[in-house]
Amino acid sequence: MLKIENLQASIEDKEILKGINLEVKPGEVHAIMGPNGSGKSTLASVLAGREEYEVTGGSVSYMGKDLLEFAPEERAREGIFLAFQYPVEIPGVSTTNFLKTAVNQVRESKGLKPLDAVSFLKEMKEKMKLVDIDQALLSRALNEGFSGGEKKRNEIFQMAMLEPKLSILDETDSGLDIDALKIVADGVNKLKSKDNATIVVTHYQRLLDYIVPDFVHVLYKGKIVKSGDKNLALELEEKGYDWIKDEEGVEA
Amino acid sequence: MAELTLTDQFTTIFEAKTGSKEGLSDFQKGSFEAFNTLGLPHRKSEAYKYTQIARILEKNFSEVSVPLETSWDIAEIKERFYPVNEANHLVFINGVWKSDLSEIKSDANHLQISVISESELDLLGKVSNSSRDPFAQLNGAQFSGGLFFKAARNSDNIPTFIYHFLDAENTSISFPRILIDAETGSQTRVYEKTFVNGDAAALVIGMLESKVESNASVRFTKLQQYPKNVYAVEGIYASQDKDSRFHTNTFTFGGAVIRNNVVIDIDGENCEGHMNGLYVISGNTQVDNNTAVDHKQPHSFSNELYKGVIDENARGVFNGKIYVRPEAQKTNAFQSNNNIILSDSATVNTKPQLEIWADDVKCSHGCTTGQLDEDAIFYLRARGISKVRAKALMLTAFAVETLEEVKEELVKDEIESIILNKLG
Ligand SMILES: Nc1ncnc2c1ncn2[C@@H]1O[C@H](COP(=O)(O)OP(=O)(O)OP(=O)(O)O)[C@@H](O)[C@H]1O
Ligand SMILES: [Mg+2]
Repeated sequence: MLKIENLQASIEDKEILKGINLEVKPGEVHAIMGPNGSGKSTLASVLAGREEYEVTGGSVSYMGKDLLEFAPEERAREGIFLAFQYPVEIPGVSTTNFLKTAVNQVRESKGLKPLDAVSFLKEMKEKMKLVDIDQALLSRALNEGFSGGEKKRNEIFQMAMLEPKLSILDETDSGLDIDALKIVADGVNKLKSKDNATIVVTHYQRLLDYIVPDFVHVLYKGKIVKSGDKNLALELEEKGYDWIKDEEGVEA
Repeated sequence: MAELTLTDQFTTIFEAKTGSKEGLSDFQKGSFEAFNTLGLPHRKSEAYKYTQIARILEKNFSEVSVPLETSWDIAEIKERFYPVNEANHLVFINGVWKSDLSEIKSDANHLQISVISESELDLLGKVSNSSRDPFAQLNGAQFSGGLFFKAARNSDNIPTFIYHFLDAENTSISFPRILIDAETGSQTRVYEKTFVNGDAAALVIGMLESKVESNASVRFTKLQQYPKNVYAVEGIYASQDKDSRFHTNTFTFGGAVIRNNVVIDIDGENCEGHMNGLYVISGNTQVDNNTAVDHKQPHSFSNELYKGVIDENARGVFNGKIYVRPEAQKTNAFQSNNNIILSDSATVNTKPQLEIWADDVKCSHGCTTGQLDEDAIFYLRARGISKVRAKALMLTAFAVETLEEVKEELVKDEIESIILNKLG
């Protein structure tokens, strides 16, 4: 589904990603961990098509196509979803209105008729249950004044509405209390199928108890320096990143 | 023959005017003298710093007159009416109120609608202080067929729509004048819009005065959807007695150079004064909103919100003055002006001016000018929304906030669709 080869990217002439290799197949869950500033969000943004980042080398193929050729909205329409680490506040635009526009633009790109108000509301109601999100929140301006946890929940709600093939969850667990974490993880699990895949970026092994990864990767200074199964996450939790940094030091 | 200056032309127009009744003509003579003393704002005038109005007008109106005939026919005019039966539809042609073309539903006991005559001399030009506004004086000198609108205590609260029809086949000028007397406890809603035929330069020197007596409410909404040959200097002067409410909403979507002077005197306790505006402009349009609220009495509230979306070579100017006199303790006065700039050559000049002499007051002002938030656009695009749609969503959301105070659904819908058309 997704194949990243030797991906290099920089912002303002500062090289951040220094040769990432990663392959994600349908049905898989990949966790990406790594210290602050190592480039996890940068990778997520590059995959979602953020134009500020300049791809300086390597390639990304998604469903057999060159992903880097596509605009952010085209990627979204093709099934890529990024749950933002820092969801943006959009004054004046309600979540409902925004999602209706999004859902219908995605449908339009597939040659489908726009959802009418009734079907859209029905769809919303269903997905609201999934992440236990309140109607009142959705009629407010998108993310404006939302608490950290509400913003994260809203991201997963959007994901549920858009039914992506490849979801990239950038620290969706930070800022969530334990109950919310379970709800969000539950939602993600319910949306999982053998045809779609998930990349979870996280600092905490805790989330991975709920969303069990098939692979865990450690991103450090713009490279994946270690990959393993879910036990790697446990090991990281226990020992921190120093041992990896040390190993890196030896290699360098 | 030497070219006539604009002021010379004003004299010609003034002298050619068919005499009004004696009392009124004294008022008009006085206004003309006042105008001549003040003159057009000169180059260094602080109040017209960003809109060199004299230069602009001299350049575009080397020969100007009030059209004597109109190309608008009755059917065309009536077609433009909002489809509201329970309403007063008042027609002005080239600045002159036409009672025969107007449809008045209100009972004369509730609402008196007549041509401004000498019976209004105790109000005319005196509602609030416009003695130093040369354009107010010019209008005072030149207007004919002004509209007097007197809402009685038992007013029926049906809306009034005012339609201005202009002829701009040749360079033209008009001087519409409206005088509102909202008596104690009355309710008034007035909506105003303009239609233009022809594409020669047209100048509107407009003046609206509104006296808002105790516990009365006046809502005035002006739609300036001018074509690019229209130049306008329009004044709104209001004065409020105790317990009254006054709202102005000014929506500007086009024109060459538009200057709006809005002045509210809050001369009573427990008043509410609102000034809202939106300008969504592009091309070479220049819109200059100059506003002032003068708190003369304690315990009142004023709120002002102006928003602008400026594209291409357009220019938005905002100046908001708040005066709080020493007696006006416990005043709450708020003001904000927010602008979004969409092109490198668009400009905004915004200036709040607070002069507060009372100590126990709450006043705030805020001006922002910026571009659309790139992070927000990316966020929307990452959900499958095209860049164009993402921008449109954000801009319309920004703009429609100013519609909240427009209570007539038809007008609200109309303005909303103009916004969507311009920004969508
Ligand atoms: N717009 C930018 N301008 C300059 N540097 C940037 C910019 N965006 C990111 N960076 C830098 O790129 C590096 C990687 O940032 P990134 O956000 O990808 O890290 P991260 O792994 O997600 O960290 P965290 O765990 O704290 O979320 C950091 O050093 C960061 O300062
Ligand atoms: Mg990050």
